[in-house]
Amino acid sequence: MATATDFIGRINQIEGVAGCLLINSDGAVLGQAVDDPEVYAALMKISSDLSRDIMTNIGFSYCRHLSFHRRNMENFYVFPIDKYLLGIVQQADCSVKFMLERVDQLLSKVSTGGSGKGS
Amino acid sequence: MIHLIDELKIIPGVIGASIVSSQDGLKVTNLPTIFKPERLTTIGKHLFKLSSVGRMSFDDLTDISLHYDESVMLARELEKGMLLFVICDPTFNHNLLSMSFNLLQEEFNLGNYSTPGEEDSPIEGDVTSSQTQPDMQVDDALQELFDELKSSLGIILGPMASFVFDEVVEDWTSQGSVDPSRLGELLGQLDQEISDQDKIDKYRQLISPALETFLKG
Repeated sequence: MATATDFIGRINQIEGVAGCLLINSDGAVLGQAVDDPEVYAALMKISSDLSRDIMTNIGFSYCRHLSFHRRNMENFYVFPIDKYLLGIVQQADCSVKFMLERVDQLLSKVSTGGSGKGS
Repeated sequence: MIHLIDELKIIPGVIGASIVSSQDGLKVTNLPTIFKPERLTTIGKHLFKLSSVGRMSFDDLTDISLHYDESVMLARELEKGMLLFVICDPTFNHNLLSMSFNLLQEEFNLGNYSTPGEEDSPIEGDVTSSQTQPDMQVDDALQELFDELKSSLGIILGPMASFVFDEVVEDWTSQGSVDPSRLGELLGQLDQEISDQDKIDKYRQLISPALETFLKG
Protein backbone atom coordinates (compact mmCIF):
# COMPACT_ATOMS: atom_id res chain seq x y z
CA MET A 1 0.00 0.00 0.00
CA ALA A 2 2.93 2.30 0.71
CA THR A 3 3.99 1.90 -2.94
CA ALA A 4 0.55 2.93 -4.12
CA THR A 5 0.72 5.97 -1.88
CA ASP A 6 4.15 6.88 -3.25
CA PHE A 7 2.90 6.45 -6.77
CA ILE A 8 -0.10 8.69 -6.15
CA GLY A 9 2.24 11.25 -4.59
CA ARG A 10 4.42 11.27 -7.71
CA ILE A 11 1.46 11.62 -10.05
CA ASN A 12 -0.01 14.39 -7.92
CA GLN A 13 3.18 16.42 -8.24
CA ILE A 14 2.87 16.66 -12.03
CA GLU A 15 2.04 20.16 -13.18
CA GLY A 16 -1.61 20.33 -14.17
CA VAL A 17 -2.80 17.50 -11.90
CA ALA A 18 -5.37 18.69 -9.36
CA GLY A 19 -5.88 15.29 -7.77
CA CYS A 20 -5.62 11.57 -8.46
CA LEU A 21 -6.47 8.13 -7.19
CA LEU A 22 -5.53 4.53 -7.86
CA ILE A 23 -8.02 1.67 -7.71
CA ASN A 24 -7.78 -2.06 -8.33
CA SER A 25 -9.87 -4.17 -10.67
CA ASP A 26 -12.59 -4.53 -8.04
CA GLY A 27 -12.95 -0.78 -7.74
CA ALA A 28 -11.30 -0.62 -4.31
CA VAL A 29 -9.33 2.56 -3.66
CA LEU A 30 -5.63 1.83 -3.07
CA GLY A 31 -4.42 5.40 -2.82
CA GLN A 32 -5.92 8.81 -3.26
CA ALA A 33 -5.21 12.50 -3.36
CA VAL A 34 -8.70 13.69 -4.18
CA ASP A 35 -12.03 14.37 -2.46
CA ASP A 36 -14.84 11.81 -2.80
CA PRO A 37 -12.62 8.99 -4.05
CA GLU A 38 -15.47 6.45 -3.93
CA VAL A 39 -17.49 8.45 -6.46
CA TYR A 40 -14.53 8.60 -8.82
CA ALA A 41 -13.75 4.92 -8.24
CA ALA A 42 -17.22 3.82 -9.37
CA LEU A 43 -16.97 6.00 -12.48
CA MET A 44 -13.51 4.63 -13.28
CA LYS A 45 -14.54 1.02 -12.90
CA ILE A 46 -17.68 1.29 -15.05
CA SER A 47 -16.12 3.48 -17.72
CA SER A 48 -13.07 1.26 -18.00
CA ASP A 49 -15.29 -1.80 -18.56
CA LEU A 50 -17.27 0.07 -21.22
CA SER A 51 -14.15 1.30 -23.01
CA ARG A 52 -12.88 -2.27 -23.10
CA ASP A 53 -16.18 -3.45 -24.58
CA ILE A 54 -15.91 -0.78 -27.28
CA MET A 55 -12.31 -1.76 -27.94
CA THR A 56 -13.31 -5.41 -28.41
CA ASN A 57 -16.23 -4.49 -30.63
CA ILE A 58 -14.32 -2.27 -32.97
CA GLY A 59 -11.12 -4.30 -32.97
CA PHE A 60 -8.72 -1.86 -31.35
CA SER A 61 -5.84 -3.26 -29.34
CA TYR A 62 -5.19 -1.10 -26.30
CA CYS A 63 -6.84 1.78 -24.47
CA ARG A 64 -4.29 4.36 -23.37
CA HIS A 65 -6.76 6.49 -21.50
CA LEU A 66 -10.25 7.89 -21.60
CA SER A 67 -11.30 11.41 -20.74
CA PHE A 68 -14.40 13.11 -19.48
CA HIS A 69 -14.37 16.68 -20.76
CA ARG A 70 -16.13 19.25 -18.66
CA ARG A 71 -17.32 22.77 -19.28
CA ASN A 72 -15.32 23.99 -16.26
CA MET A 73 -12.22 22.43 -17.87
CA GLU A 74 -11.49 20.26 -14.82
CA ASN A 75 -11.42 17.19 -17.03
CA PHE A 76 -11.16 13.72 -15.58
CA TYR A 77 -8.88 11.03 -17.04
CA VAL A 78 -8.78 7.28 -16.52
CA PHE A 79 -5.58 5.38 -17.30
CA PRO A 80 -5.64 1.58 -17.30
CA ILE A 81 -2.40 0.15 -15.84
CA ASP A 82 -2.59 -3.63 -16.01
CA LYS A 83 -5.06 -4.62 -13.29
CA TYR A 84 -5.26 -1.12 -11.88
CA LEU A 85 -6.86 2.13 -12.89
CA LEU A 86 -5.39 5.56 -12.33
CA GLY A 87 -7.81 8.49 -12.20
CA ILE A 88 -6.61 12.06 -12.63
CA VAL A 89 -8.45 15.32 -12.11
CA GLN A 90 -6.98 18.05 -14.30
CA GLN A 91 -6.45 21.62 -13.19
CA ALA A 92 -8.66 23.98 -15.16
CA ASP A 93 -5.88 26.23 -16.42
CA CYS A 94 -3.02 24.00 -17.45
CA SER A 95 -1.30 22.66 -20.53
CA VAL A 96 -3.18 19.41 -21.06
CA LYS A 97 -0.64 18.18 -23.60
CA PHE A 98 2.23 18.73 -21.18
CA MET A 99 0.39 17.09 -18.32
CA LEU A 100 -0.56 14.02 -20.35
CA GLU A 101 3.01 13.67 -21.62
CA ARG A 102 4.36 13.73 -18.09
CA VAL A 103 1.79 11.20 -16.92
CA ASP A 104 2.60 8.93 -19.89
CA GLN A 105 6.30 9.21 -19.11
CA LEU A 106 5.75 8.22 -15.52
CA LEU A 107 3.42 5.37 -16.43
CA SER A 108 5.89 3.99 -18.96
CA LYS A 109 8.53 3.90 -16.26
CA VAL A 110 6.16 2.11 -13.93
CA SER A 111 5.15 -0.37 -16.60
CA THR A 112 8.68 -1.14 -17.70
CA GLY A 113 9.99 -1.30 -14.14
CA GLY A 114 8.77 -4.87 -13.90
CA SER A 115 8.23 -4.78 -10.16
CA GLY A 116 4.59 -4.29 -9.68
CA LYS A 117 3.14 -1.65 -12.05
CA GLY A 118 1.76 0.76 -9.56
CA SER A 119 0.78 -1.79 -6.98
CA MET B 1 -27.96 15.01 -40.95
CA ILE B 2 -25.36 13.65 -43.35
CA HIS B 3 -24.37 17.25 -44.17
CA LEU B 4 -23.45 17.83 -40.55
CA ILE B 5 -21.12 14.88 -40.23
CA ASP B 6 -19.67 15.39 -43.70
CA GLU B 7 -18.36 18.73 -42.50
CA LEU B 8 -16.58 16.94 -39.65
CA LYS B 9 -14.92 14.54 -42.04
CA ILE B 10 -13.11 17.43 -43.71
CA ILE B 11 -11.11 18.07 -40.53
CA PRO B 12 -7.59 16.63 -40.78
CA GLY B 13 -7.28 13.33 -38.94
CA VAL B 14 -11.00 12.62 -38.83
CA ILE B 15 -11.77 9.20 -40.32
CA GLY B 16 -15.52 9.60 -40.10
CA ALA B 17 -18.48 10.20 -37.84
CA SER B 18 -21.78 8.64 -36.88
CA ILE B 19 -24.96 9.77 -35.18
CA VAL B 20 -26.84 7.16 -33.19
CA SER B 21 -30.20 7.28 -31.50
CA SER B 22 -30.78 5.40 -28.28
CA GLN B 23 -34.16 4.29 -29.69
CA ASP B 24 -33.46 3.64 -33.37
CA GLY B 25 -29.75 2.80 -33.38
CA LEU B 26 -27.56 4.15 -36.16
CA LYS B 27 -29.08 7.20 -37.85
CA VAL B 28 -26.30 8.19 -40.19
CA THR B 29 -22.61 7.53 -40.75
CA ASN B 30 -19.84 8.45 -43.11
CA LEU B 31 -17.28 6.06 -41.64
CA PRO B 32 -15.59 3.64 -44.06
CA THR B 33 -17.67 0.55 -44.78
CA ILE B 34 -15.28 -1.57 -42.74
CA PHE B 35 -17.22 -0.22 -39.75
CA LYS B 36 -20.42 -2.29 -39.99
CA PRO B 37 -23.70 -0.59 -39.02
CA GLU B 38 -24.49 -3.22 -36.39
CA ARG B 39 -21.13 -2.62 -34.70
CA LEU B 40 -21.58 1.13 -34.83
CA THR B 41 -24.96 0.73 -33.17
CA THR B 42 -23.41 -1.40 -30.43
CA ILE B 43 -20.61 1.08 -29.94
CA GLY B 44 -23.20 3.85 -29.80
CA LYS B 45 -25.01 2.02 -27.01
CA HIS B 46 -21.80 1.71 -25.02
CA LEU B 47 -21.08 5.39 -25.57
CA PHE B 48 -24.57 6.28 -24.36
CA LYS B 49 -23.84 4.37 -21.16
CA LEU B 50 -20.47 6.09 -20.82
CA SER B 51 -22.11 9.45 -21.30
CA SER B 52 -24.81 8.62 -18.73
CA VAL B 53 -22.34 7.45 -16.12
CA GLY B 54 -20.18 10.51 -16.82
CA ARG B 55 -23.10 12.87 -16.32
CA MET B 56 -23.90 11.22 -12.99
CA SER B 57 -20.50 12.39 -11.77
CA PHE B 58 -20.16 15.62 -13.76
CA ASP B 59 -23.26 17.62 -14.52
CA ASP B 60 -21.25 19.88 -16.85
CA LEU B 61 -19.94 17.01 -18.98
CA THR B 62 -19.49 17.97 -22.62
CA ASP B 63 -17.55 15.26 -24.46
CA ILE B 64 -15.97 11.89 -23.83
CA SER B 65 -12.82 10.78 -25.59
CA LEU B 66 -11.34 7.29 -25.71
CA HIS B 67 -7.71 7.12 -26.71
CA TYR B 68 -6.81 3.76 -28.18
CA ASP B 69 -3.48 2.81 -29.70
CA GLU B 70 -4.83 2.97 -33.25
CA SER B 71 -7.46 5.68 -33.04
CA VAL B 72 -9.29 8.11 -30.85
CA MET B 73 -13.06 8.23 -30.41
CA LEU B 74 -14.72 11.46 -29.40
CA ALA B 75 -18.39 11.42 -28.43
CA ARG B 76 -21.01 13.99 -27.50
CA GLU B 77 -24.68 13.66 -26.68
CA LEU B 78 -26.33 16.24 -28.96
CA GLU B 79 -29.62 15.91 -27.10
CA LYS B 80 -31.15 13.27 -24.91
CA GLY B 81 -31.13 10.04 -26.87
CA MET B 82 -29.03 11.37 -29.78
CA LEU B 83 -25.28 10.87 -29.74
CA LEU B 84 -22.55 11.91 -32.16
CA PHE B 85 -19.22 10.15 -32.27
CA VAL B 86 -16.14 10.57 -34.40
CA ILE B 87 -13.22 8.24 -35.02
CA CYS B 88 -9.90 9.97 -35.68
CA ASP B 89 -6.21 9.36 -36.05
CA PRO B 90 -4.34 9.79 -32.76
CA THR B 91 -2.74 12.94 -34.19
CA PHE B 92 -6.07 14.78 -34.57
CA ASN B 93 -6.44 18.37 -33.39
CA HIS B 94 -8.66 18.12 -30.33
CA ASN B 95 -9.38 21.83 -30.04
CA LEU B 96 -10.42 22.10 -33.67
CA LEU B 97 -12.68 19.09 -33.41
CA SER B 98 -14.24 20.35 -30.17
CA MET B 99 -15.01 23.67 -31.83
CA SER B 100 -16.55 21.85 -34.77
CA PHE B 101 -18.63 19.82 -32.34
CA ASN B 102 -19.89 23.08 -30.85
CA LEU B 103 -20.82 24.42 -34.28
CA LEU B 104 -22.52 21.17 -35.21
CA GLN B 105 -24.36 21.19 -31.90
CA GLU B 106 -25.60 24.69 -32.68
CA GLU B 107 -26.84 23.62 -36.10
CA PHE B 108 -28.44 20.56 -34.60
CA ASN B 109 -30.21 22.65 -31.97
CA LEU B 110 -31.50 24.93 -34.71
CA GLY B 111 -32.89 21.91 -36.52
CA ASN B 112 -30.55 22.70 -39.40
CA TYR B 113 -30.21 19.16 -40.68
CA SER B 114 -32.01 16.58 -42.74
CA THR B 115 -32.45 12.88 -42.31
CA PRO B 116 -31.08 10.47 -44.93
CA GLY B 117 -33.16 10.56 -48.10
CA GLU B 118 -34.08 14.21 -47.69
CA GLU B 119 -30.76 15.60 -48.85
CA ASP B 120 -32.02 16.61 -52.27
CA SER B 121 -35.01 18.50 -51.04
CA PRO B 122 -34.96 21.83 -49.22
CA ILE B 123 -34.25 21.19 -45.57
CA GLU B 124 -36.99 22.05 -43.15
CA GLY B 125 -35.71 24.57 -40.67
CA ASP B 126 -32.52 25.09 -42.65
CA VAL B 127 -31.02 28.48 -41.98
CA THR B 128 -30.64 29.26 -45.67
CA SER B 129 -34.18 28.25 -46.41
CA SER B 130 -35.72 30.10 -43.53
CA GLN B 131 -33.68 33.21 -44.17
CA THR B 132 -34.12 33.32 -47.89
CA GLN B 133 -37.46 31.85 -48.78
CA PRO B 134 -39.94 34.33 -47.32
CA ASP B 135 -38.80 37.41 -49.23
CA MET B 136 -36.61 35.83 -51.86
CA GLN B 137 -39.05 33.34 -53.29
CA VAL B 138 -36.19 31.06 -54.23
CA ASP B 139 -37.41 28.54 -56.73
CA ASP B 140 -36.49 24.88 -56.51
CA ALA B 141 -33.72 25.09 -59.08
CA LEU B 142 -32.04 28.02 -57.36
CA GLN B 143 -32.40 26.38 -53.98
CA GLU B 144 -30.76 23.26 -55.38
CA LEU B 145 -27.92 25.40 -56.69
CA PHE B 146 -27.54 27.06 -53.28
CA ASP B 147 -27.32 23.63 -51.68
CA GLU B 148 -24.56 22.67 -54.11
CA LEU B 149 -22.70 25.94 -53.55
CA LYS B 150 -22.92 25.50 -49.80
CA SER B 151 -21.83 21.88 -49.91
CA SER B 152 -18.81 22.70 -52.09
CA LEU B 153 -17.90 25.58 -49.82
CA GLY B 154 -17.71 23.03 -47.01
CA ILE B 155 -14.89 21.31 -48.87
CA ILE B 156 -13.00 24.60 -49.07
CA LEU B 157 -13.72 26.22 -45.71
CA GLY B 158 -14.60 23.28 -43.48
CA PRO B 159 -17.12 23.46 -40.67
CA MET B 160 -17.55 27.24 -40.85
CA ALA B 161 -18.76 27.05 -44.45
CA SER B 162 -22.42 26.69 -43.62
CA PHE B 163 -22.43 29.85 -41.49
CA VAL B 164 -20.38 31.83 -44.00
CA PHE B 165 -22.63 30.81 -46.86
CA ASP B 166 -25.83 31.72 -45.01
CA GLU B 167 -24.42 35.13 -44.12
CA VAL B 168 -23.34 35.82 -47.67
CA VAL B 169 -26.71 34.78 -49.08
CA GLU B 170 -28.44 36.99 -46.52
CA ASP B 171 -26.31 39.97 -47.57
CA TRP B 172 -26.85 39.18 -51.23
CA THR B 173 -30.63 39.04 -50.90
CA SER B 174 -30.71 42.27 -48.95
CA GLN B 175 -28.83 44.01 -51.76
CA GLY B 176 -31.27 43.33 -54.57
CA SER B 177 -33.70 41.01 -56.24
CA VAL B 178 -33.24 37.27 -56.25
CA ASP B 179 -32.33 36.92 -59.86
CA PRO B 180 -29.99 34.47 -61.57
CA SER B 181 -28.45 37.46 -63.34
CA ARG B 182 -27.04 38.51 -59.94
CA LEU B 183 -25.33 35.17 -59.31
CA GLY B 184 -22.00 36.74 -60.29
CA GLU B 185 -22.33 39.14 -57.34
CA LEU B 186 -23.03 36.23 -55.01
CA LEU B 187 -19.98 34.32 -56.22
CA GLY B 188 -17.87 37.46 -55.87
CA GLN B 189 -18.95 37.80 -52.25
CA LEU B 190 -18.13 34.16 -51.63
CA ASP B 191 -14.69 34.71 -53.20
CA GLN B 192 -14.08 37.52 -50.72
CA GLU B 193 -14.93 35.22 -47.84
CA ILE B 194 -12.61 32.48 -49.12
CA SER B 195 -9.88 35.13 -49.66
CA ASP B 196 -7.27 32.73 -51.01
CA GLN B 197 -6.80 32.58 -54.77
CA ASP B 198 -5.91 28.88 -54.89
CA LYS B 199 -8.96 28.01 -52.84
CA ILE B 200 -11.13 30.33 -54.91
CA ASP B 201 -9.96 28.54 -58.08
CA LYS B 202 -10.66 25.17 -56.53
CA TYR B 203 -14.09 26.32 -55.39
CA ARG B 204 -14.94 27.57 -58.86
CA GLN B 205 -13.92 24.20 -60.28
CA LEU B 206 -16.09 22.38 -57.77
CA ILE B 207 -19.20 24.45 -58.45
CA SER B 208 -18.83 24.73 -62.20
CA PRO B 209 -20.90 21.59 -63.06
CA ALA B 210 -23.76 22.75 -60.81
CA LEU B 211 -23.65 26.25 -62.29
CA GLU B 212 -23.71 24.89 -65.83
CA THR B 213 -26.68 22.66 -65.05
CA PHE B 214 -28.53 25.56 -63.46
CA LEU B 215 -27.83 28.00 -66.29
CA LYS B 216 -28.90 25.46 -68.91
CA GLY B 217 -32.18 25.27 -67.02
